[in-house]
Amino acid sequence: MDQMLGYFLYAMSLLTMGGIYAILALGLNAQWGFAGLFNAGIAGFAALGAYTYALLTTADSPFHYGGLGLPLVIGEMVAMVVSGMVAAVIGAICIRLRADYLAIATIGIAEIIKLVIKNETDITNGPRGINKIPRTWEHLTEERFYSSWPMSMFNTPEGWVSFFDSLPAWWWQPFFAATVLVIMFIFYFLLERARLSPWGRMMAAIRDNEVSARAAGKDVTGRRIEAFILGAVIMGMGGALLAQHLRLIEPTNTFDPAKMTFLVWVMLIAGGSGNNRGAILGGFLVWVLWSGSELMIKGSIDVIASIFSDWDPAILQTRAGFLRMLLIGLLLQLVLQKYPGGILPEKRPAVSGRNAKRAGNRE
Amino acid sequence: MLEFVNFYFIPGLVLGCIYALGAIGVTLTFGILRFANFAHGEVMMVGAFLTWTFMDFMTGAGLALHPLVAAIPAVVIAIGVSVFVDRYFYRPFRKSSPIIVVIASFGMMLVLRSLVQVIWGPNQITFVKGIAKPNGAIREATSDMGMMILVPDKHLLIMVGTIVIMLAFNYILTSTRMGKAMRAVSDNPDLARTSGINVESVIRNIWVIGGFCAVAAGVFLAMDTQFIESTMGFRILLPIFAAAILGGIGRPFGAVAGGLIIGLAEELVAYPWIGDAPLISPGYKSGIAFMIMVVMLIVRPSGLFRGKVF
Amino acid sequence: MRVMKRILFGSLAAAMLVAGSAQAQVKVGNAMAVTGPIPDLVAPMVAAVDLAAKHINEQGGVLGESYEVVRADSACDPSAAVDAVTKLINVDQVLGILGPVCSGATIAQAESVSIPAGVVTLSVSASSPAITSMESGTDLVFRAAASDAYQGVALADLTLASGIKEIAVSYANDDYNAAIAQVFAKVYEEKGGKVVAMEAHEPNKASYRSEVQTLSKGTNALALFAYYGSSGITIMRNALETGAFDTFIGADGMLAQEVIDQIGAENLGNATFTTSASDDTTDAYKAWQALAEAAGVPAADPFVPNSYDATFMMAMAIEKAGSADRSKIAAALREVANAPGEVILPGEWAKAKKLIGEGKDVNYVGGAGPQDFDANGDVQGSFSKNTVVGGKWSATLIK
Repeated sequence: MDQMLGYFLYAMSLLTMGGIYAILALGLNAQWGFAGLFNAGIAGFAALGAYTYALLTTADSPFHYGGLGLPLVIGEMVAMVVSGMVAAVIGAICIRLRADYLAIATIGIAEIIKLVIKNETDITNGPRGINKIPRTWEHLTEERFYSSWPMSMFNTPEGWVSFFDSLPAWWWQPFFAATVLVIMFIFYFLLERARLSPWGRMMAAIRDNEVSARAAGKDVTGRRIEAFILGAVIMGMGGALLAQHLRLIEPTNTFDPAKMTFLVWVMLIAGGSGNNRGAILGGFLVWVLWSGSELMIKGSIDVIASIFSDWDPAILQTRAGFLRMLLIGLLLQLVLQKYPGGILPEKRPAVSGRNAKRAGNRE
Repeated sequence: MLEFVNFYFIPGLVLGCIYALGAIGVTLTFGILRFANFAHGEVMMVGAFLTWTFMDFMTGAGLALHPLVAAIPAVVIAIGVSVFVDRYFYRPFRKSSPIIVVIASFGMMLVLRSLVQVIWGPNQITFVKGIAKPNGAIREATSDMGMMILVPDKHLLIMVGTIVIMLAFNYILTSTRMGKAMRAVSDNPDLARTSGINVESVIRNIWVIGGFCAVAAGVFLAMDTQFIESTMGFRILLPIFAAAILGGIGRPFGAVAGGLIIGLAEELVAYPWIGDAPLISPGYKSGIAFMIMVVMLIVRPSGLFRGKVF
Repeated sequence: MRVMKRILFGSLAAAMLVAGSAQAQVKVGNAMAVTGPIPDLVAPMVAAVDLAAKHINEQGGVLGESYEVVRADSACDPSAAVDAVTKLINVDQVLGILGPVCSGATIAQAESVSIPAGVVTLSVSASSPAITSMESGTDLVFRAAASDAYQGVALADLTLASGIKEIAVSYANDDYNAAIAQVFAKVYEEKGGKVVAMEAHEPNKASYRSEVQTLSKGTNALALFAYYGSSGITIMRNALETGAFDTFIGADGMLAQEVIDQIGAENLGNATFTTSASDDTTDAYKAWQALAEAAGVPAADPFVPNSYDATFMMAMAIEKAGSADRSKIAAALREVANAPGEVILPGEWAKAKKLIGEGKDVNYVGGAGPQDFDANGDVQGSFSKNTVVGGKWSATLIK
């Protein structure tokens, strides 16, 4: 029974993290898939969102600025706004750079964001990070929430305490996972609308042939900046949700570009760039592989050890973590070569008949 | 003034030499194959590990090898690895969008690094033991002239080595058939192909030269820090990218200049230019290269030496 | 889409099958930063955890079953730690967590996963003062390593006692080193010392020559807070090469044979590093040292005795709780670790098992100190100062 509940809760955690990564991949899809903007600073925007959310919603703390103790929704909204505003500034300066250059510039900018978070200790608590970040639904069990409006309207603090005690300890986990998924679907829905709208078709035109789009009188730079901001806003939300899930964020390892930025790119490319459903699929698929591979490798080493029982598997066990990275790297090569357009390749709007098929194979 | 030269300028120059050698490979692949090769740092690291392995092996056989001697077989193997990786992991994407190759190279970075970690383990390995004291002869000679220059032997070797490699590289690029073909492909791949240049063989040469410089950078880095470990390449990869951009993509000498500038800048910002404290907190040290790079990209994306802009 | 669903569910099912195939054992989770920024520090800690499990199983195991340590990779990273501990608690159904190595990862996994699930975390090395105040009355987080709030004070006292009145401070900008450097500098100034310069440095750079030169104005003593592998050795080497500093003071992160092997004992005459461990004047440390040396585990490396102690105490707590019940472990942990009771030394599992079975009080005393938990689940710790004697670190107890 416990074991079944355990699997259920692990599945909830996979859905939560997969959903958060799917949101980040959707944001990247708005930038790369729609507009061809090579943003390699995903971790930087996620960090902005996460830190904004954390500073606004945590309870007052001696370690960092604030916490202002604001409602969670306000924290999430401001996280999106801050991430979008920074993207607007970066976009205004860097957007005219072509693909690889924009990539390297955004890597640099993300790294600078990380360094600022790390060094401005008075505001962010530096490398030690911010903890006790409230998580949606679970936060209701914190005293500062149930003893104040609006929860205090429905029940006394004592009443709430006994109510929460009557629930199983994990009650909020499915709700939190569902919340992440709902937010993901809202972004998906909005992005699909945008993709099929005249704006989306103009984006595809600019991406595929900038010169002719410009000749047709389109404001190429303006549209590009819009797509950059749109993606960054979504990434800011992804960061805010990540902060909720982890409950502690710190700059060095949480927002390590070699892990986070890379993983999101793999998700989008594997899922199919330009295709919102592909981004979501890639998010879940790659996260499940990433997280599940540890269990699989551990299991395989046990199997190997039981077959070759006279051989000491200790060296493999201590190096299992590296074996995992090795396999992920090789798997990525396989996906890239087998599915160059992603698993769900882009489907172009407003192209009919024979052309649609050809356009669908575009990479 | 002397303090400035000894403790800020010379160390900056040494760091710059290492960045410069690394940046040559990056700028060549970027200029000709049109992608930022994230696995380049791992080639440096693999080269240093192989060098150490040969040194260790020969020490076991009772022969103490100098790192630069042990680096010769390491160079051969590292070039082999580069060509192999290109053949099976990059070549299938020659016609695809560059982002695919960038991601493939990022994957190769993980693969190479974890391979080294599985084989050699994640721990630091001592490359050269002890503390390098300043070269006595130079110190005597310069202190007679009233300006005592303190520079250890390992730094002399690194600087001289870099100059030798530069000169050889200059000769290859300007005076040999292969070098001319490389420059032609770099300037315009399609034109080069139609004029009968074998582009694939040029690409192979890129990996040979890039691999050679990468191993040299890795071994020099190991000689300087005197230890090796599996993330040593990745740690200096981003400053190397910055150096390549600063110099102008596809411009090997630009990359050298860029490397020297970035190396010097990283050391010189800790100089107390104003008052007693470092100019910029050393906590921001790794931001210096990015700052220079971002500013450069905005002000003059073609780099100092009029590189290519895609 | 169909293909993908198959892959998705296939891999999920495979993961679960493999994980579920293990037999019924007494399992504890061990989330260690096997990959990540400090794999070299963690490797001997992992060996110490396995050594403790081996000793326990050789002497009868826990609750009559074998004591299995399930390892996962927390990579010093909150998101990896949360994922790893989620799997340990839910899929592997472990009874307790032997903690992630880094403080940030420890707090994240505790707040996000293990406290909500009601599982005890016993950290082997998280030393951040923030852990003391984080858990707000749940009593589920313990640690076998002393808080920096204690070690920073001990180190400041030691520095002043050895006659160093002026010092420069350089610390790596990460959760562990930044925390202990702040405590040290504050206490050192309060007690009459003078910090002439204090700068953070970015770890993992190839050269720190300019930084050490700028710091060296007016003193030859450097308080260095860094991991030896990511910047510590390089800074010491750069400082010695340029003659900027010749006296070094520091904490656990610098304490490894690696430092002597690389820099050379002849250059380390004035290097003193503290660590939260005893020295060989105590019986507990002697017992630990003998066991560790027999197994080839470096006994004096940072947090290695703590790792052994944590694994051992967790087993004692499960034995004391009498059943594989997560909720009873916290209380049992306090009982077996704290005085009063018959003293149990490292390796004495058969004795501990027998006494617990007879219902007697036991008190574990480990190689890293007496390991008595206070109300916050912290240990006071005893500290030793380490200097180089004959090419090895030699520890002497302070206070």
